[in-house]
Amino acid sequence: MIHPSTELRDICAIVGAGTSRLGKVPGVSSLDLIVEAMRNAISESGVQVSDIDGIICRGPDELYSQHQLVGERLGINAKFSTTATNGGASQILSIALAVMAIRHGLATTVLCGYGRDAWSRTHKSEEARVRNETRPDSQLAKEFGPEYGYFGAAATHAFGATRHMHLYGTTKEHFGHIAVDFREHALRNPDAQMKKVLTMEDYRAQRSIVRPFGLYDCSLRSDAAGAVIVTSRERARDLKQPPVLIKGFGTYNNLRGWFADDNMVMTSAKQAGETAYRMAGLGPRDVDTAQIYDCFTYMVLTQLEDYGFCKKGEGGDFVASGALRLGGALPTNTSGGQLSEAHGEGMLQIVEGVRQMRHTYPAHRQVKDAEIALISGHGGNQVCHSTLILGRA
Amino acid sequence: MSQIPKPVPQPAPESLPYWEAARQHRLELPQCEDCNKHWFPPSRTCPHCLSTQFKWSQVSGRGKVFSFVIYDRIYRPAFTEDVPYVVALVELEEGPRILSNVIGIPPDDVRCDMAVTVVFDDVSDVTSVPKFKPL
Ligand SMILES: [Zn+2]
Repeated sequence: MIHPSTELRDICAIVGAGTSRLGKVPGVSSLDLIVEAMRNAISESGVQVSDIDGIICRGPDELYSQHQLVGERLGINAKFSTTATNGGASQILSIALAVMAIRHGLATTVLCGYGRDAWSRTHKSEEARVRNETRPDSQLAKEFGPEYGYFGAAATHAFGATRHMHLYGTTKEHFGHIAVDFREHALRNPDAQMKKVLTMEDYRAQRSIVRPFGLYDCSLRSDAAGAVIVTSRERARDLKQPPVLIKGFGTYNNLRGWFADDNMVMTSAKQAGETAYRMAGLGPRDVDTAQIYDCFTYMVLTQLEDYGFCKKGEGGDFVASGALRLGGALPTNTSGGQLSEAHGEGMLQIVEGVRQMRHTYPAHRQVKDAEIALISGHGGNQVCHSTLILGRA
Repeated sequence: MSQIPKPVPQPAPESLPYWEAARQHRLELPQCEDCNKHWFPPSRTCPHCLSTQFKWSQVSGRGKVFSFVIYDRIYRPAFTEDVPYVVALVELEEGPRILSNVIGIPPDDVRCDMAVTVVFDDVSDVTSVPKFKPL
């Protein structure tokens, strides 16, 4: 029997992709950054602004009804617009919502994006640098955390790393391969925030943050925005860029919590991935390049297992094999990812997936003959997950 | 430096009984009158069976470390004297997992699945915080 979700396969395409300036962009708000990325996406696509009738986008959590603020700056009224609040899983979810809206005639051309000013807000004072907090105070825990000195997303994810190391013999060295390989990719990307070589020796000598994580296990604080334009396959034909097909997507949210069950070592990437694979009619062996949500090194390792690129517990050996490098078995985070390009809550990785599918990169950045890209989004107190599978038209 | 006060719990209405029991050095959790299971964090509906019939019941205070982290970076000046310190997720014998510190052992010696038991840290005249030490 054919699953009804397969009706959504290949009916929409991404026809424009853009980013803002990335990294340290002082004096520019998150709204101006997302507008910058959206302008770049619109201008490369050939889409007329008057044809855009949907906006699904997100920014820092304190911006109420952020899509409305974006529409105001772009001068666009929308048949369908909203802001998803699934953290780093929101950006792929936005694209999923766009496809469903287009499928049912609620919109024809939808702008999706995300923008933040995380570097600027964590560097505006010494206190802000120490706190390293991007969320508004109103969202921080008031009990069962701060009294124990429990602060920051690094610790939350480090719990998963500790447990994974305990269960499967995963090592710090394994995490190091992820940091080192993604940095090597960033050095090929002129827009990347990180410009310096990172060796395994540097990784071993890194400053400890929250064990088992050190500095290079943690993603960057960035001012960054990205945007894409989703429209029907038919409309995509007449536009400027080679269309990139949306082949499948899926979401899954372990709402019982990161600390419940085995969620910290078996993430909702598993179920989100299965949903996306089923829609696309594909499996892990069909994927040529992966853009995995890398808020922390460990999260890449567990998601590679959860997506079926290797067995549960074998992620350490998989990353140590060199599989993640450009030229490896599964080139991953080919722009440098959030560990080394810039942290745009998964949006920049969607843009990178689109660009890899267009085959317009110079040879040293292009995944050779890549036909299928898998992209992941993770966030919302660590339990929300989304998966996007793109393909060449 | 040690004068900088640490954050004290600001309880939600549903967790006030938890902190009142802790003040008296008892670890109490909500327990369902229908399915007998415990849960945490406190709420007024059993997440196992959705019953609203529950009582606050004292638990053994024994459990094991499900996972843990060791802070080396200082995120708040109030913890400057504490690094390196352990924040652990403790799985209680009764099932629920609660976040706390493991104390009374060098951080490097903490392990997953290690047996621990509750102790109470009187952080002020009116607040005591449950922590854990090796059993
Ligand atoms: Zn119950």
